[in-house]
Amino acid sequence: MVTAVIYLALLGGIYALVFYFNHKTPVPKGCENLKAQCEGCHDLSCCNNPSHDK
Amino acid sequence: MNRKENFTAGFIRENPVFSLYLGLCSTLAITTTLNNAIGMGVAVIAVLIMSNVIISLIRNITPSEIRIPVYIVVIATLVKVIQMLIKAYAPSLDSALGVFIPLIVVNCIILGRAEAFASKNGVLDSALDGLGMGLGYTLSIVIMSSIRQILATGILSFDNPFNAAQNIFSIRILPEDFIISIFSQPFGAFCTFACLAAGLAAYKAHKEKKEKAMQKEAK
Amino acid sequence: MDWSHLFVMFVTFVLINNVILNQFLGMCPFMGVSKKSSSALGMGLAVTFVIVAASLVTYGLYYLVLVPLKLEYMDLITFILVIAALVQLVEMIIKKSSPTLYKALGVYLPLITTNCVVLNVTLNNIINEFTFSEMLVYSTAIPLGFTLVIYIFSTIRERLEACETLPSWKGNPIALIVAGIMALAFSGLLGLV
Repeated sequence: MVTAVIYLALLGGIYALVFYFNHKTPVPKGCENLKAQCEGCHDLSCCNNPSHDK
Repeated sequence: MNRKENFTAGFIRENPVFSLYLGLCSTLAITTTLNNAIGMGVAVIAVLIMSNVIISLIRNITPSEIRIPVYIVVIATLVKVIQMLIKAYAPSLDSALGVFIPLIVVNCIILGRAEAFASKNGVLDSALDGLGMGLGYTLSIVIMSSIRQILATGILSFDNPFNAAQNIFSIRILPEDFIISIFSQPFGAFCTFACLAAGLAAYKAHKEKKEKAMQKEAK
Repeated sequence: MDWSHLFVMFVTFVLINNVILNQFLGMCPFMGVSKKSSSALGMGLAVTFVIVAASLVTYGLYYLVLVPLKLEYMDLITFILVIAALVQLVEMIIKKSSPTLYKALGVYLPLITTNCVVLNVTLNNIINEFTFSEMLVYSTAIPLGFTLVIYIFSTIRERLEACETLPSWKGNPIALIVAGIMALAFSGLLGLV
């Protein structure tokens, strides 16, 4: 039981670390306002969904 | 009444399967028989309601950037619990649905409702929305799987999921010589789905036209 | 090393047991990204990257960490966290190393975290009890089949936009009929192996 909690915490920590590093790296020049040309996906959890732009 | 509108939205107006095209993967794959559809529908309703409630409870303390992974971890825990319950009490359902029970985690319906509704509304509203969407989903896949099963095997049957040997009902609708077995293949799945989606779109367009005509008359 | 067995596996998972047309996974990007062929190719490339990396890491993690610690029930959460972390890592590496590659596929990477295909490949590696070489073949064949089908579909869909369709069939329903016909065509390859 304890191993499971420690293991989960480790995994979460690794994810948080990688997410933080990714947040810090700047987008390469010329790619600032790229938009995925996908539409018709009504999945609101998708960050490219046009409803998030308003 | 706003609550009632939210609850009934999942049935026709914002039907998650045929109108919003969410959860396509599981819909097309498991709707071969009525057993699978009802089993999957009940599992999705359970996960939807519980995940909506939990996410609505923690909505004020999750930072906005990492909310998607947090939601996914919550949903994954719930799905694992449901999977273990299904493996224990309904093993025939588990072998029929296979890998699609763990794939409920990435089912767009659950994550989409969590993002769109549960992260912005209170607990009771979220639970009702989960129930409404879940019922809409179950109704849609039950209709689609009945059509596919009747056309592909001619028999509409339902077994007890907790005791696979017990058959609850089994009606032969099409005689043996008239069955079209391609409806149990991918081609049949795509075509049935497309026809039902087009039917729903036509019905909604018809209703909108009637409403616009009535509004014009009222002016 | 049984090359013929691996080759047959490769052909099976690219053409015959195709991930989109037969196993019905990856339908969300299939319907959403396939309106332009360039975006379809970008999506396919991103999915390939993520699946191969995720497969290797989760396979190793399951057999080297979860099984000795008797935590097999944590496989679902582990795989999801690993996939999410890998997507962030791949995005960061691509941002730093190649702007052209980022332009081509960087935008699609966050979409892949909630993709059925990636989770399914990692789960199937465990359920089917693949050996290491079988796992490698499986995790390269699946995204190749995915890219192939999504690219073909996007080219058809570009032509479909210019055709007149009944109003209630416009958009997704008619596209699904096309997908059904493609499934029918691909199922004719069943006699290949």
